[in-house]
Amino acid sequence: MSGATRENARIVFGVLVVLAIWEFLGSQTSWGVAMFPAPSRILAQAFADRELYWLHGLATVRTATIGFVFGCAAAMLAALLFCLSPSLELAFRGVNIALFAMPAIVVGPLLVLFFNGDWPQTILAALMVYFPAMSATLLGLRQVDPRLADLVAAYGGGETKLMLHVRFRGALPSLFAGFRVAAPLAVLGAVLGEFGSGTRWGFGAFLLSALPQGNPARLWGIGLAASLIALAGYALFLLPARRLAASTSAVTLSAVSPAAIAVSSGGRLRRIAFALVALALPFLLWWLMVTLTKVSPIIAPGPVQTILFLFEGRQASAARHALGLALGQTLPVAALGLLAGLAFAFVLAALSLLAPALARALMPVAMVAQNMPLVAVVPIVTLVFGRGVTASVFMAVLVVFFPAYVLLQQGFTTVPRAASDLVATYGGGRLKNLVFVAVPYSIGHLFAAARLVAPQALLGVMVAEWLLTGTGLGNLLNVSRGGLDYDMIWAGALISILISVAAYEAVGLIERKVVRR
Amino acid sequence: MTYMTINTSPTPPEAAVDLIIDQAGKTFPTPRGPVVALAPISLKVTRGSFVALIGPSGCGKSTLLRMVAGLEQPDDGAILIRSKHPEQFRKEGELGIAFQDPALLPWRNVFANVAFPLQILGRPIKPNNEKIRALIDLVGLKGYEDALPSQLSGGMRQRVAIARSLVSDPSVLLLDEPFGALDQILRRQMNLELQRIWAARQTTTLLVTHGIDEAVFLADEVVVMHAKPGRIAEIIKVPFARPRTPDLFSSPEFHALCDTLTAALHGPGAAA
Repeated sequence: MSGATRENARIVFGVLVVLAIWEFLGSQTSWGVAMFPAPSRILAQAFADRELYWLHGLATVRTATIGFVFGCAAAMLAALLFCLSPSLELAFRGVNIALFAMPAIVVGPLLVLFFNGDWPQTILAALMVYFPAMSATLLGLRQVDPRLADLVAAYGGGETKLMLHVRFRGALPSLFAGFRVAAPLAVLGAVLGEFGSGTRWGFGAFLLSALPQGNPARLWGIGLAASLIALAGYALFLLPARRLAASTSAVTLSAVSPAAIAVSSGGRLRRIAFALVALALPFLLWWLMVTLTKVSPIIAPGPVQTILFLFEGRQASAARHALGLALGQTLPVAALGLLAGLAFAFVLAALSLLAPALARALMPVAMVAQNMPLVAVVPIVTLVFGRGVTASVFMAVLVVFFPAYVLLQQGFTTVPRAASDLVATYGGGRLKNLVFVAVPYSIGHLFAAARLVAPQALLGVMVAEWLLTGTGLGNLLNVSRGGLDYDMIWAGALISILISVAAYEAVGLIERKVVRR
Repeated sequence: MTYMTINTSPTPPEAAVDLIIDQAGKTFPTPRGPVVALAPISLKVTRGSFVALIGPSGCGKSTLLRMVAGLEQPDDGAILIRSKHPEQFRKEGELGIAFQDPALLPWRNVFANVAFPLQILGRPIKPNNEKIRALIDLVGLKGYEDALPSQLSGGMRQRVAIARSLVSDPSVLLLDEPFGALDQILRRQMNLELQRIWAARQTTTLLVTHGIDEAVFLADEVVVMHAKPGRIAEIIKVPFARPRTPDLFSSPEFHALCDTLTAALHGPGAAA
């Protein structure tokens, strides 16, 4: 009791110290005034802007909420269907991974072609919510104690009874954990959608208009406010999730991909057939979308037309050249950011194993920071790193670091106590424990982290390019959007989604090679 | 002491046979080739008797029990409970089952957990309220009706599972090492209670166990199994009169029979 109070007092004290230093540097040094405006100035500016905050904030909150509800509804329905029919999940694997790995910023401009009003950003928010909510729900539905399944079977109950009495209730903690992760993503999706939709209100529009103004206090205010909204969404589901988890035994959001369960079943021929279906289905849906909505094929070309755009006709070689140039700028930066972010996360997680006090201090910060929408760091990145390549790299590192650190740290804590005790018994210190026990045990978490953040790194770089640096794939898409070069928008989106999916699959492939030795 | 092998086991003509296992075997495919979990075996269990299955790990005793429950299908041969197939029999709610793990629904209280089989069987709960309370009382958990599993000790949870296995008024009860996770003291206590419960109902019972003394104390017949491949080595009758009291645990006859059983477990052909 008194220990907890003392711990809380220490946290409050630490926060106050940080705020005091920030206030001093932000008001007394010239670089501080330019990069880290004092909290008092940020608050004063926010108060002066209060009407803007109200209008923009309301628009974003409404968009994110509606998108969240739609996305979660679709996710729960899909999870139920996938649970009942694993074949269906295999067939939709391509769609699911594409939705997970797509750099959301490229999808916004496409949605604008089909929908108007607030719908493009609402749908983008729903699309971003879908995958985490779906995989968490599916995991919860599948995670049935085998003894309970036996029990139901022993009384003649079938899948319906099992679903009704065991699966639904058992999935609740997992479902809420999924909601918790998805809520901040809905805010991110809404803001990214607002960049591309040209809407008047919303934090995306607010940020776009504030970026060229050179008012650090306002930029910081926007970043902090967007983070607050996202974190409020996270916190909303924190309490019910904890309560449910307590009454449902320990259920945690697993780091394994749900698709991996089903892949191993069935013969070779069946597997190949499903892989082909999974590959074809996203393109089929694309084709259906452009055909059924009756949007002009000039604005919304189908898959075949988009691929032909890159290989046939007068502009094909020019288009390939432009894309190649953009990729040459974007991919190295994304790869560098990914590796640096992962390495940094690994080193820090390992260090916190050697010095547990560090982990206690850092973990809460990382838990919060991983849920900050990445657009919220744009102001900080641009004030500190300007508009060059450094800004892009740092953006990717920032996007990669926090989720990777949290996952790795969780991996290190799953190491069985007995294994660490064994090392200690033979006189091994923390370093030996790290090398021989902790790292090998958490190798799965390392790969899970890499798979999770690889698409994020690309998204981070593309957002930086779109908003700040004016280079690479992100910029190409932004310019094409402005110039109404629809073929290029589609081709760029296709290429970036393919690269993202390829990166995700490549990590999975390496993982299977390494882990299943 | 009478030894009876499976072929010479005389069934009194008047006693009805509840369970017939006829040349049922099970082979599991593994990455390193098929493993015979259970060579084709035959066994008859008469109505109202208590039969214990005992043997080393991998002798297929749990597989046998799961086949009787219809949770596994035998590769060949047949299993009939009261001349019905297990799947059909269990749908009528005639089967009660308890596992080594109590497998309680963590979000349901004791009462709702005991009532769970009735829900699966599609039977109403309200008219059975009294019976459920009586069962909770029977296993010594009166007053804990509203407690959640997380608030109970391991032994109490296991008793909930026993009460649950009886709620559908089963004619055949299957117990798969129900006390395997309990300590020796608690186990003795639960053995006494199980005997009391069984004596009150005379349900045909099949108990899978690791405990030699548990098998001798509870059963009318002990089926000794050997591994690699899983098979029945011997069937030993337990002659002690019922009701059996805790004094039995310290009687020389009890120990002699335990020694016989131990010898049978390590007998010729037993895997090391």
